[in-house]
Amino acid sequence: MKGIDLALLRRLWPFVRPHRRHLVRGLLLLLLGSACRLTLPYLVKLAIDRHLTPGELVGIGWLAAAFVALGAIEMAARRRQMFEVDSAGQNALLDLRRRLFRHLQRLPASYYDRTPTGRVIGRLTTDVEALNELFSSGVVTVLGDLVFLASALAILLALDWRLTLATLLVVPPLGAVTMFVRGRVRRAYHAMRAELSAMNAFLHEQVGGMAVNQMFRREERVAADYDRISSGVRDAQLRTVRWESILSAAVEMLGSFTVALIVWFGGGHALAGGGAGDALTLGTLFAFIEYMQRFFAPLNDLSMKWAVLQNATTASRRIFALLDVDEALPEPAAPPPLPPARGEIVFDRVSFAYRGEPVLRELSFRVAPGERVALVGATGAGKTTVLKLLTRLYDPDEGRILLDGRDLREYPLRELRRRVALVAQDVFLFEGTILDNIRLGAPEIDDERARAAADRLHLDEFVARFPRGYQEPVRERGKNLSAGEKQLVSFARVLAAAPPVLALDEATSNVDSHTEHRLQEAVHELMAGRTSLAVAHRLSTVRDVDRILVLHRGRLVEEGSHAGLMARRGLYERLVRLQGMGEEA
Amino acid sequence: MRELLLLGPAFRRYRWRYLAGALCIVGAVLLRLLVPRYLGDAIDLLRQAASLGPGVAAEPEALRPLLVRAVLWILGVAAAGGVVRTTSRLLVLGTSRRGIHDLRRRVFAHLLRLPPSFYAARPTGDVMSRVVNDVQFVQSLLGPVFLYLAENAALYVVCLSFMLGIDPVLTGLGLLPFPFALWRARRIAAEVQRLSRASQEGLAEISARVDESLSGQMVVKGLALEDFDYARFERRCREYRDLNLRLTRTRARMQALMIGLAALGPLVVLLAGGPRVVAGGISLGDFVAMLLYLQFLAGPTAVLGFVLSSLQRGRAALGRLGELLATEPALADPPAPAPLPPGGGALAVRGLTIELENERGEPRRVLDGVSFELPAGRSLGVVGATGAGKSVLLRALARQLEIPPGTVFLDGADLTSLRLADARGAIGYVPQEAFLFSASLAENVALGRPEAGEEEIAAAVAAAGLAKDLPQFPEGLATLVGERGLNVSGGQRQRVALARVLLLRPRLLLLDDPFSAVDAETTEEILAALAPLMRGRTTVLVAHRVATVRRCDEILVLDRGRVVERGSHAELLAAGGRYARLEARQRARAELAAGLEEGGEDEER
Repeated sequence: MKGIDLALLRRLWPFVRPHRRHLVRGLLLLLLGSACRLTLPYLVKLAIDRHLTPGELVGIGWLAAAFVALGAIEMAARRRQMFEVDSAGQNALLDLRRRLFRHLQRLPASYYDRTPTGRVIGRLTTDVEALNELFSSGVVTVLGDLVFLASALAILLALDWRLTLATLLVVPPLGAVTMFVRGRVRRAYHAMRAELSAMNAFLHEQVGGMAVNQMFRREERVAADYDRISSGVRDAQLRTVRWESILSAAVEMLGSFTVALIVWFGGGHALAGGGAGDALTLGTLFAFIEYMQRFFAPLNDLSMKWAVLQNATTASRRIFALLDVDEALPEPAAPPPLPPARGEIVFDRVSFAYRGEPVLRELSFRVAPGERVALVGATGAGKTTVLKLLTRLYDPDEGRILLDGRDLREYPLRELRRRVALVAQDVFLFEGTILDNIRLGAPEIDDERARAAADRLHLDEFVARFPRGYQEPVRERGKNLSAGEKQLVSFARVLAAAPPVLALDEATSNVDSHTEHRLQEAVHELMAGRTSLAVAHRLSTVRDVDRILVLHRGRLVEEGSHAGLMARRGLYERLVRLQGMGEEA
Repeated sequence: MRELLLLGPAFRRYRWRYLAGALCIVGAVLLRLLVPRYLGDAIDLLRQAASLGPGVAAEPEALRPLLVRAVLWILGVAAAGGVVRTTSRLLVLGTSRRGIHDLRRRVFAHLLRLPPSFYAARPTGDVMSRVVNDVQFVQSLLGPVFLYLAENAALYVVCLSFMLGIDPVLTGLGLLPFPFALWRARRIAAEVQRLSRASQEGLAEISARVDESLSGQMVVKGLALEDFDYARFERRCREYRDLNLRLTRTRARMQALMIGLAALGPLVVLLAGGPRVVAGGISLGDFVAMLLYLQFLAGPTAVLGFVLSSLQRGRAALGRLGELLATEPALADPPAPAPLPPGGGALAVRGLTIELENERGEPRRVLDGVSFELPAGRSLGVVGATGAGKSVLLRALARQLEIPPGTVFLDGADLTSLRLADARGAIGYVPQEAFLFSASLAENVALGRPEAGEEEIAAAVAAAGLAKDLPQFPEGLATLVGERGLNVSGGQRQRVALARVLLLRPRLLLLDDPFSAVDAETTEEILAALAPLMRGRTTVLVAHRVATVRRCDEILVLDRGRVVERGSHAELLAAGGRYARLEARQRARAELAAGLEEGGEDEER
């Protein structure tokens, strides 16, 4: 059982189970089709032996009618069977994808910090597709194949057991050769696909960095690299061509050899046939050749299915390894009754390290309900981390964070994030309309409420330029909106959701002065009447808040109002000068 | 069929292989069809024996050598057929892979010549689709499609001649269902191909959704949008499932058609021919051979639908590739390039005017009669509002954009008279958006000089202000960065790009706001570290902060493509013009921030 782990594949069963009816139906249809397929050559045999050879025409019409009817049934059964099996597969994989996605949503930010996105995407696409092969290639209905093989064998033996045994003795070595060649074809294809995807990755990168290549006069070197890679692809392709050509010839030769053998044994047998009952009739010979060919077709498929099973094992190992990652931030099993939302935040000696580097060190502060507080500090002082801990994207290593007097870890995550809204520095727009991006699927925010929030931030000024207004679709990652406009949309989201606590990470991007003005107003509007903790980059913001916390290397070093801190001429004053806060080109 | 001309070179180079391949195909088909022939002979032989009845011992023994001969013929023909068939495939398919390798190289060599404006105008995905998908389509045209058409043309000709030789009427009857099957097969094939494409796009869509959710997870988690995000993902997955089910249904129709055709032809022959066999009009052997021939033709006829679609796609792909290869790069070496004169990078710009098309395709003047002289070893700062033409000016100087001749001179030589490679070798350009390749940090820095030593690289890294970030890279300079490596911040990217250029020690250094993603503190550090490097090196520095260009020997102020002011920092301040106002505004804001003035709510003008 090289490369096949049944225990692993068994874990797929819960996903298939709900759709097992499709599978059962598919299997039954397969058997029905097989029965027809096995009967057809026998009808031809009867026609030859009973009617054509003796010249007896009466009754041949019935045979022909049966032939047509069985052919039609086989056709219909096969169509339906493919569809049933595929329905089972597609629905099972849909469930698997759903489950994977839900799992991904539960994994904490720290998991993604160390896992390349591409790998995770591969689980949901390439690997799930590899499982699809189990259904489309008919691995799940292999039972039907086995029944077919056994029946074909029984018929062959019944037709002429000596001929069958003789043929089966000589044919397997030839079959083994084709099996071997098939294995080679598969390996060659595998290698070729790897070369091909390496080439495409190379191309993608070189095309993306074309200007750099030209600027640094790398054309010849890059062309030489490409030549090498493309030659590799060509050679890998030539190997596939070689083995495939041999395979197609081998399969055909196998067929011809079988026919020759049957004629040799069967013919000789017929010639020598003494007793009348013992003689091999022409019809039998014809049917024998047909059955032999039908016997080998699924046999050939079996080796292919074995490979599919191996691939599926690899894919499910990866998929279940991902599903087995159990890192979700722990949530209270039975959350205690939660205090009413007032918006009080307390950081109590909070320490946190990121990738082994201490970021926050015993940080303590309190934000009163409704108070607006700005976090200021140099790059790496830990400002953004404070927001990430407050929204529980990460848990502190030491100390605790209280919201309305209760440790964050006692809140169900959803409830916590309903109370504390994070506005990240990088605005992220989803595909959908502008209004969709403000509502973000929240059932309690109707279009009117979303529009009202947008109006308060004067979004209509730029939305007016779109022919469809708020119903204008946002293009990929918001390409049709400027940086400032995207920020305004992200502010409108929060305003519409109206959370009691705002965690705002202000963006530093350069925008034109009019938009800047709008953004300042918007920030003011957002913070009004709600507990706000803002990583501030704008002068207007720090002047707007009730209190400023100055962080340095994860510690609170100064605190006070803008004027008070400037007068102190300490770190804050230096930061403001250096950062040229609010400066515009 | 004009598109096929593009294949001329490939065909010419490999014409003997193709010719030999075609011959082998015909040979293989002939040999394959001989098997039914000999089988028919053997059957007739046996029937003769059978009709003699049992007990006639002497007669069958006389027939035995004939039977042996028939069997040996079948074996011999099958073996020869296998060899010839393998050879034909090796020749045709193998040659198509070789020809495609040539085509790929040709396309890529062309891509390397196309100017940045070409790439700016289209997404990377579009270019990739030309080089990957279209080339793939052409490959199937050169290989499988050719093979298939040649093989089946031969198969049809030979089969038909054999069949007609047996019985023309029966042949006609047996082929009756074929035209209808072909028509159906084409429709189904077109549908299958449409659905497969849609299904591929569906999978890509799922992948894009997951990508989006993962990169937007801060937002998703931060605003508790899990259900919303899940619903969007789920809808795509459902659509994908439905597409695949439709594809299966269509494919099943194709299979049914093939089975139907393989059964229908023989059925007709059986019904119509049966009585004639009985009557002795045709021998039973001929009759069986006829049935086998019909079966031979049934499979290929159904698949012909797919082949015709592939042919169509291959032709369209060839057309697109031909178009791409016919695109003449707007930026190319002059026919008779002048040698690069020695010098220290003195730059002269005289009346440089550039028009570019905006998004709506209307020409817009982005530089308007810009003139300046920059002596070797001096530095020039360029400031101006967004859209004033600063970046365009640098791209023009860096030979990234086509410029009119006689407008830009490097050490006295017209830039357009130099070979692109010479000009680019003398100029070091750091664009705003830095691109990193999936390679080690060191390799990314040594892009222009792969032979550079470790120390040189380390020095360049230090000069670009990247050294202090190195501890963040797990394997230091050997850390893999770029798309398949560690994620690098925008500021770090810019500094890698800077280090890259510094390593080249160009005559002329062009820096396009290389600190836009770097904070003010680090900018100061880098500028300080750069000062000795910039001293004695001709430099053009574009920036949005006045503070960044303050130390330059001369400063230009651009506005809507025109030079509106020029002079040293002190001179421009004294002149009290636009530069002075910009400086005053930026300084006032700093002072305002410093709390030295009160009531400055008007920082927004």
